[in-house]
Amino acid sequence: MTTAVRLPPVLLGAVIVHTAVAPQLRLFGVSADLLLLFAIAAGIATGADRGAAVGFGAGLLADCFLQTPFGLSALTYSLIAYGVGSFQSTILHTGRWIPMLTTLVASALGVALFSVSGLVLGEEHLLSTRLVTVAAVVAVVNALLSPLAVRLVRWAVTPQLVPGAVMR
Amino acid sequence: MALSRRGGRSRFTLILLILTSITVITLDFRGDGAGLIGSVRDGAADALAPVRDFAANTLDPVGDALEGVTGYGDLEAENAELRARIAELEGAALLDEGAERELAEAQRLLDLDVAGDIPRVAARVVSTPVSNFEQTIELDQGSDDGVAVDMPVVSGAGLVGRVVGVTGRRSTVRLITDPASAVGVRLARSSEVAVAEGEGPERLLSLSFVDPDADVSVLELVITSGLDNSVFPPGIPVGRVAVSEPAPGQLERSVEVRPVADLARLRLVSVLQTGHRSR
Repeated sequence: MTTAVRLPPVLLGAVIVHTAVAPQLRLFGVSADLLLLFAIAAGIATGADRGAAVGFGAGLLADCFLQTPFGLSALTYSLIAYGVGSFQSTILHTGRWIPMLTTLVASALGVALFSVSGLVLGEEHLLSTRLVTVAAVVAVVNALLSPLAVRLVRWAVTPQLVPGAVMR
Repeated sequence: MALSRRGGRSRFTLILLILTSITVITLDFRGDGAGLIGSVRDGAADALAPVRDFAANTLDPVGDALEGVTGYGDLEAENAELRARIAELEGAALLDEGAERELAEAQRLLDLDVAGDIPRVAARVVSTPVSNFEQTIELDQGSDDGVAVDMPVVSGAGLVGRVVGVTGRRSTVRLITDPASAVGVRLARSSEVAVAEGEGPERLLSLSFVDPDADVSVLELVITSGLDNSVFPPGIPVGRVAVSEPAPGQLERSVEVRPVADLARLRLVSVLQTGHRSR
């Protein structure tokens, strides 16, 4: 199976969980941002280039369910995924905690970037004292879910070798 | 060399994605939420509606339990506040009756339309917002049922918000507590006209443009003013004054209002079919 076959259903599954399940399970009134997690996981698993592209797609899907300007999430997620991918390529040590820590920081930055970008576009309400709570909860929940998300995205975007094929 | 080429390609991809995002955002602004982008949003919302309904019904008890655990401190504070409020209300029952009488009299005197005369569509709240920044709810009634953008939404107690998005089978309502919400209001007793602005979840509404010398008392009823260009008809209860303090040196009085509708536990609401623009 190729990326083209695996990625769409995985992304659709993420959208369903993001829009139907996550909003029902809130911590301190804040739900996890699973599509941001998906973008970050793509950055970690595939690098800056493909991560940004997957992040853009995930962001566009997130925008379908928001009242904020269409494309705002796409812009934010692609930038964050690109940043994560670039950062990941500079790391030599591969401890298990690095993707979690990367997700923690990137999620908080993603939420902040979304708010600031929204403010630039006239969405003043996105920048409030609540931002700190939202960024903290999203960062922690996304970090906890990151091992699963990275494995899932890696499976979805990494082409499998065909059994019996020989590399010359 | 190869790394440099790879980095260049990577930057090119990013610039392309940024430009595409800016183009999409511009298209959304120019189309004012309608057109192709509006259709995409509507289609996505309608396509996932059954799944979201199912998840909402199934996970509701789990969500309530989670909210109870993480919001324990808030619940204690809310309990204490409610006890104090019960005592306050018991003492002010006569004042309340007086306010009701004043409201009825004001409506009669000013010949205001009341929300009861306006045709309405009953709707069930089916979903909470996907975003962490928006105070919105989704209703199970859409344009197929006569709901349109800008229609006011009320509960049995009072104003809930207004419709900001509609698909065939669903509509999105921005609550009056949303920081982007502003409602033209009138204080029932003092007749002061002001704007009630949302301050976020579980926070009081703040009133702007209240005269610093105005006689605004706590528990005074606040109703929609229905002034020019307002999407809300006059006379709908919005809340009661919870804080009214003079602000020395300021051009307006500091007034905060507690919504009469229980916005955290909405189940059934009515959409008032007032004049509207189609989307």
